Amino acid sequence: MLPLLRTWRQRALVLALARREVAARYRGGVLGYLWSLANPLLLLAVYATVFRLVFTPRADVRPYALFLFLGVLAWGFVSSALLDSAETFRANGPLLRKTTVAPEVFPAAAVGARLSHWIFALPVLAAAIFYAAKRGSVAPGLSALAFPAVLLLLTLTVFGLALAVSSLAVHFADIRDVIANLLTLAFFLTPVLYPVDSVPERYRGFLRANPFSTYFAALHDSLFFFRPVPAAEWAWMAGTAALSLAAGAAIFERLRDSIAEEA
Amino acid sequence: MTGEPAVRLSGVTKLYRRYGRKRTVGTLKSAFLSRAGLRALAPDAVVPALVNVSFEVPAGEMVGIIGPNGSGKSTILKLLAGIIRPTSGAVQVRGRLAALLELGAGFHPEISGRENIEINGLLLGLSRREIAKRFDEIVRFAEIEEFLDAPVKTFSSGMAVRLGFSIAAHCDPEVLLVDEVLAVGDEAFSHRCLEKFAEFKRSGKTILVVSHDLSLVSERCRRAIWLDRGRLAADGPAAETVALYRERVAQEEGSHRLEAAASPEPPAERFARIGSGAATVVEVRILDGEGLPAGRIASGQPASLEMRVTGGPLSDFVFGFAISTVSGIQVFGANTDIDGFLPDGFSGEGHVALEIPAMALAPGVYSVDAAVHARDGAPYDYRRDVLRFEVTADRPAAGVWDPPRTWRFTGAIRWKS
Repeated sequence: MLPLLRTWRQRALVLALARREVAARYRGGVLGYLWSLANPLLLLAVYATVFRLVFTPRADVRPYALFLFLGVLAWGFVSSALLDSAETFRANGPLLRKTTVAPEVFPAAAVGARLSHWIFALPVLAAAIFYAAKRGSVAPGLSALAFPAVLLLLTLTVFGLALAVSSLAVHFADIRDVIANLLTLAFFLTPVLYPVDSVPERYRGFLRANPFSTYFAALHDSLFFFRPVPAAEWAWMAGTAALSLAAGAAIFERLRDSIAEEA
Repeated sequence: MTGEPAVRLSGVTKLYRRYGRKRTVGTLKSAFLSRAGLRALAPDAVVPALVNVSFEVPAGEMVGIIGPNGSGKSTILKLLAGIIRPTSGAVQVRGRLAALLELGAGFHPEISGRENIEINGLLLGLSRREIAKRFDEIVRFAEIEEFLDAPVKTFSSGMAVRLGFSIAAHCDPEVLLVDEVLAVGDEAFSHRCLEKFAEFKRSGKTILVVSHDLSLVSERCRRAIWLDRGRLAADGPAAETVALYRERVAQEEGSHRLEAAASPEPPAERFARIGSGAATVVEVRILDGEGLPAGRIASGQPASLEMRVTGGPLSDFVFGFAISTVSGIQVFGANTDIDGFLPDGFSGEGHVALEIPAMALAPGVYSVDAAVHARDGAPYDYRRDVLRFEVTADRPAAGVWDPPRTWRFTGAIRWKS
C-alpha cells in the first residue's frame, strides 16, 4: 500500500502535474478546454445518428443520445487514462532520472488529467439532462447523489490499474498496444452502448465478470434511470476498487526500483 | 546539532543491469512467444557502478566528489537522493534533501515560467505555501521578471538554467546534492552560484558536489572523496585528495604519451616537420619536478623539457625549445645559441634538457616546438607542436603569465579575513 500513501502525501504535486498536462495540451488552441469536449461530442453525434437512423434503440433507453453520452464520457476516461499511464514514465524520463520525485505521481497525474476532462464535460451532461427532463423524457431524482461516489470508486479502480500498467510498460514496450486492443474488446463487453437489462439473463453473470460492468450499470442507474444503486453493487464496486488498488500497488512496488533505471 | 552524520553510506554496492540484445525485443509479445518466456527478461550483464563504498559526512561539511567519468560519482548522488536503491548496503540521509542533478530537469516547455516554478518547487519537496512565500525571491535571483508568463520554450538556455538553480537554491535544504551544474551558464552566473554555496556553508548546510573542476573542489571544499571505477580511492582533506588524483592522472597521461612515442607509426598529421635530416629529434618529453614524465604541470612548479637527438657528425648545431599557446601565441623561446653555448661536436645520440625552476604560466594547454638547426637557422630537424602539456592552477588567471605575486594595501581598505 506504500505507493498509495506516497501518492497521497504528494497530492499537491499530482494536482500540479495533472493541471500541467491539461494546460499544455490545450494551451495552443484558441478554444482551449472546449477541445476536451470535441472528442466525446463527436463520438456522441456519430453514435446518436447511427443508432437513431440505422438501429432502433429500445424504448427504455430513450433519449438514447443522453444514455450514450453518459457512457461514452465515462469510457473515454477509463480508456484514455490507461493508455496515458502506459506512456507516462517514458514521457517523464528526465524527471525520474534527475529528481527525487516519487514515480507514483505520474500515473496518478495521468489519471487525474483524464478525470478532469470528464469533470469539465459534466456541465454539458447536466445541461443535456435538464433539457431531457424538461421534455419529460427523464425524471431526475435523488439517485443522482450517488454519482460522485461512483465516480470516486471508478477513479480508484482505474488508478490501481494505472499503477500496474505504468510500471509494466517500463519492461514491455508493447503494453500500450496490448491495452488498446483489450480496451476495444472491453468496450463492447461493458454496458456502454446498451443497458445491463438488455443482456439475456444467462449471459449476465458473464458480463458481471467484467468489473467495469457494475460501474457503468451504476452510472446509468444514478444519472439516467434515476433509481437507487443496489447495495450489492456498492459492495461489488468497493471490493473491485480495493482489489485493484492492492494489486496495482503490489505490482508497482515490485517494479519500482527499475523504473528510474529503465524509463 | 547532534553527533549523527548528515549522510552515511555503509558498504554500498550498486549493480546496474544491462539488457543489450534483449532490450530491442523487450516486448510482452516476445516474452510470450519466445521459448525463453519470461526468462528473456533476465539481464544480459551486470555492471558494478559502486563496490562496497562507505563514508560519512557530518552536518555542515562541504564535500567534493572527484574521479574520472564512469567512476560512480553520479550514482552516489542518485543513491543519496533516493532515485535509485543500493543493491546491497545502506544509505542514510538526515534532514531535508535537495538534488540538483540537472538544472531545470522538470521544466515543461509549453507552460509558463510561473507554472513551472510551482511544479519544480513541488518536485523539490516544497509545499505550495512555501513556494508562494519564496516566489518573488526566486524570480529576482533568476532575473526572469519580464518572461514570467511566457512559455519556457521561449526562454534562452541561460534563463532556464538560472531559473532551475534559483528554485533549487531557495528550497532551503539541509543536505544539498549538486552534479556538475556549474559547468553550464556564464561566468557571472557561476559566480553567483558559488556565492550561494558559501551562504549555505555558513548556515551549516551539508553539501555534496560532484565536479570535474578540481580547482573548485580544492578551493571550496574542506574534504574530497576520490572514486575510481566504483571504489573509494581516497577520502581526506580536499587539497591532498585533489593532489593525489592529479598525480595519478598525470602518470596515466605520461604513460600514454610514452606508449605513443614508442609506437612504430607516429601520429604524423598533428605536427609539421621540416629539416635536412642531418640530425633528428627522436623524442620530446616534459618532466615534472620529481623528474617523472607528466602531461600536467602545476603552475609555479619546476619542470624540464627534454629531447633525444640522433645524427651527425656535426660541428655546427643549435638545440632549441619554444612554447606557445594552442591558439598560436608565442610564450617562450630559447636555444643554446642565444644562451651562449658554442658548438664543438655532436655525433650518434644526445640528450638535451632545459630545466625551468618555476613554470610561471597561467592555467591552460600549451604546445612545444623542438628543433635542432644550424647557427644560421637552417633546420636539420624542426618539429612543430611535438608535445602538448597542461598547466593547472588552484586559481584562475587571465593571459599566459602567472607570476608569483604579493599585494600590498595601505589606507582605508579592509578585507574580510
